[in-house]
Amino acid sequence: MSELPPKSSVKRWLVTTNHKDIGILYTVTALFFLVFGGILALLIRAQLWGDLGDGRLMSGLAYNEAVTAHGLVMVFWFLSPFAFAFANYLVPLQIGADDLAFPRLNALSFWLYAFSGVLLGISFFQGGTLDAGWTIYAPLNLPAYTPSIGSTTAILALFMFVVGVTASTMNFLVTIHHSRAEGMGLMDMPLFTWSILLTVWMMLFAFATLLAVGLILASDRIFGSLFFDATTEGGSLLWGHLFWFFGHPEVYIVFFPALGVMFEVFQSFSGRRIVGRKWVIAALILIAVQSFLVWMHHMFLTTINLEIKTLMMALTIGISLPFDLIVFALIYTLIKGRIRYTTPFLYSFGALFFIVVGGITGVFLGAIVLDYEFRGTYWVVAHFHYIMFGGATALFGGLYYWFPKMTGRMYNELWGKLQFAVFFVGFNLVYFSMFAAWETPRRVFEYVEAMTPIHRVGTVGAFILAFSFLMMFYIFAHALRHGEKVGDNPWDYTRTTEWAVPSPPPLENWEGRPSFEGGSLNFVSKATDGGHASAHDHEGHADHASIWPFAISVSMLVLLLGLSGLTVWNGREITGVSTGYAAVTAIGTVAFLGSMLQFGREGFSAPQPAVAERWPFEGMDKNKLGTWFFIASDIMVFGAFITAAIFIRFEAGWTTWQPVTDSIYGLVNTFILLTSSFAVVLALVYARRGSKKGTMAAIGATMFLGLSFMAVKAVEWHEKFFIDGVSWATNVQYTTYFMTTGLHALHVLLGLMIAAWLIFRTKEGAYMDDDRPIELFGIYWHFVDIVWVFLFPLFYLF
Amino acid sequence: MHRTTETVNAVFQPMAHAGQEGWQAQAEVFWEVFSVFAAVGILVGVVVVAYMMYNVYKYRDSEDASGEVESVEVGELPRDAMSKKSKKLFVSLALSAVIVIVLVVYAYTALLYVEAGPEVEEDAEMHVHVEGYQFGWDFEYENGHVEAGTMRIPENTVVRVTVTSRDVWHNFGISELRVKADSIPGQTAETWISAEEGEYLIECFELCGDAHSQMVATLDVMEEDEFEEWYEGTNPEDETEEAEG
Repeated sequence: MSELPPKSSVKRWLVTTNHKDIGILYTVTALFFLVFGGILALLIRAQLWGDLGDGRLMSGLAYNEAVTAHGLVMVFWFLSPFAFAFANYLVPLQIGADDLAFPRLNALSFWLYAFSGVLLGISFFQGGTLDAGWTIYAPLNLPAYTPSIGSTTAILALFMFVVGVTASTMNFLVTIHHSRAEGMGLMDMPLFTWSILLTVWMMLFAFATLLAVGLILASDRIFGSLFFDATTEGGSLLWGHLFWFFGHPEVYIVFFPALGVMFEVFQSFSGRRIVGRKWVIAALILIAVQSFLVWMHHMFLTTINLEIKTLMMALTIGISLPFDLIVFALIYTLIKGRIRYTTPFLYSFGALFFIVVGGITGVFLGAIVLDYEFRGTYWVVAHFHYIMFGGATALFGGLYYWFPKMTGRMYNELWGKLQFAVFFVGFNLVYFSMFAAWETPRRVFEYVEAMTPIHRVGTVGAFILAFSFLMMFYIFAHALRHGEKVGDNPWDYTRTTEWAVPSPPPLENWEGRPSFEGGSLNFVSKATDGGHASAHDHEGHADHASIWPFAISVSMLVLLLGLSGLTVWNGREITGVSTGYAAVTAIGTVAFLGSMLQFGREGFSAPQPAVAERWPFEGMDKNKLGTWFFIASDIMVFGAFITAAIFIRFEAGWTTWQPVTDSIYGLVNTFILLTSSFAVVLALVYARRGSKKGTMAAIGATMFLGLSFMAVKAVEWHEKFFIDGVSWATNVQYTTYFMTTGLHALHVLLGLMIAAWLIFRTKEGAYMDDDRPIELFGIYWHFVDIVWVFLFPLFYLF
Repeated sequence: MHRTTETVNAVFQPMAHAGQEGWQAQAEVFWEVFSVFAAVGILVGVVVVAYMMYNVYKYRDSEDASGEVESVEVGELPRDAMSKKSKKLFVSLALSAVIVIVLVVYAYTALLYVEAGPEVEEDAEMHVHVEGYQFGWDFEYENGHVEAGTMRIPENTVVRVTVTSRDVWHNFGISELRVKADSIPGQTAETWISAEEGEYLIECFELCGDAHSQMVATLDVMEEDEFEEWYEGTNPEDETEEAEG
């Protein structure tokens, strides 16, 4: 493969797959979106100032767009990616790995993120972006109420973002579980890495749900399916449940990395170890699990009944207690230390203050009787900004903390402290004033006259806060040019291993193989590594460059941009297609498929370390582990579709629905798919025996059965479309039937494409020595069959 | 549908005596619970922040620093030390758990009251059905009369309110009275109002479209007689005829 160009070359940054380069790219891109979202925030604050002489700054519609985009940009395109900038850069360094498990996939995640942000930016120029709030409640999220093409584009941008996130999630899960250096057990990991591990575990389930929600909404908007339009069948509430099932864990997903930074910074600048370390880890695990059980506390005022509300309240209070423990652990860590008031410490300490304020005001919201009144007011806005922006505060501390490591230069400490002071004052002026003005409804700019002075204080505070960021950018820009050069470890009491390598670290991170046997970092040199000599760099030269992640992402942007303008195909007729958008879609599709193919054909080597801690996945290679994580997220996607179907049917009255199609189709297809599962097992058996012909025949049989399944499906749908004259736009029952079985059919189709590829490769002689790819395909194929076993009774029998 | 002054007076207990007489308006419940939470919250906040500040100052790194650094070496694996601080950790946790649980159990009793509403004889209550739409509110009374923009109710009467939506998700709220309910298409949420004479602002608390900011209405709480007079004057059948004519 091509060599990695030097850092001064633009090409380097387009092709790199190295985790440190990607970390830098994430940092810069996330900070760009901070400015983007920040400017939107300033627009909001200017609107809240009041009449500017000749009316307000923005129209109602423009204001709603600003509010929506501000929320989306800050939550999705700034907070999480900013945290993952550090995760990319530091997790491999902290666990003694060379890179992430799948470096090229990591580059793909980044470029999907970056270009999904570009797509969101484009949406402003397509008749206005989405204006339904970042919570995108149904049915306001449908074209009937948000008709602009830009609204659809914003949804597709979010979808594209989530695709990148899902890939990243699997990547980090495999990396942390599979690439830890010898001697580093899970409990030995630095707390920042721990926080990232738990974050990605939550992301695995939460973002897969959002992926499904995005698919459903895009299908409603582009193909005219009726999930969220079915308000009499609970479509609005369905959105609430699905969104908040993702949305509540999302709060912790953006917040955990911030806690991780605080743990590191508190330890490093007090010279003390964290108090009750294992209890802190236990608390984090408890929160991660419980985060999936409290989503309905965002819906206390909907029509859910008192029993469920009570349960949700109890669980919500339950989740606050582990947080209490974490806050106390942080405070007690300082006691008897020698605390250095550096900028990173001030930021982390400030973050702790914000979290205390946000936590206490959150207890108010946990009491349902108070929540009833706080719902939809600035109390909520103030509370979650103290928590989420409080978390971002710790991340800014992390930027100061790791800046010398990432750049090799030190920033000006005095300026940093000054900058923090301005930031802290501005922050409290904006968000504490919101508590004072809490009765103002959210997202409303024509509020009660008496609140004007308080909102104006907030607006002044917002501009001070914005100014503090200009200071921060200047401080970093100055340090990049003129900052003092630093060695491996510019701080005094650091302990984690990123400080054991030069600043910035070399491309391959380590000289020799890192090992923690014996309780601290040492390097096993090639000479003494004996039998493991091949472990580090002889199993295969690791590649660091590929242009295809970039190409795939650009072409996906083009494809989605085209799709956004193809408003409606409701299954009966094509309405509202502009030739321009159709052409863009066509170009995007060709480019996307082409670059995917090139990505698949490219020989990219990223050998897994021969010696590593892998508990509890010792016996599994990294591709298999990745496949299992992929299946887990796919289960969540199907789970969301099936939940939607069941929820809607319950609301409509379960027994009022009869299967819309003849059960014979389902029965035949069940038989075909189950048989195909045996065929794919046979393929593996033949591959293990080294029989090329047998392998090809068995995969061929699998393909034949898969094609038969598709043929039966075609007959079944043909009957629906052309004889019965119905489609998914006929009513919501047809929507659930067509979309859920359609999603499954897409999975079968993807499986067939992979099978064709496998036959082609087997013919070339692959897999006779290494049958693992066939096994992975088998796992996927079985999974698709099992999903069908759930769909068959739901849509064909009952 | 005859709500006489007598029946209303029979059940209404002046707010000043609310505690003794057994029921309170939602605003009073809210303020009571909110005050308790605010008092405890501010106290806890001040104590925690003061303690943080005290320690961060006391153990600052200086010439005569009182603290000491645990041995640290880059690359060292962390070890768990069950120190005295860990015990302190659990004492603090237990304390915070007690505070939070007591607060929430207390608030929960208030919730049960608010959910059920005050117990009054059925014919002493009235019912208004609220329908939100882009961008306003319709109020439907028991006699079928529908009016937009102004909701009229008699003072000091328990008014049961059901809320739904014609189009998108709204939220019906009256800040001053601490009354709020989601207005969701296809769903019907419930709440209740009891208020003194006066005019109150009804606002939408869920983003619902470009004129969300202007989606307001007025709650006109009228004197009993005045209300009766107005209510008698509404006749939905006449309205229909007028509309048809």
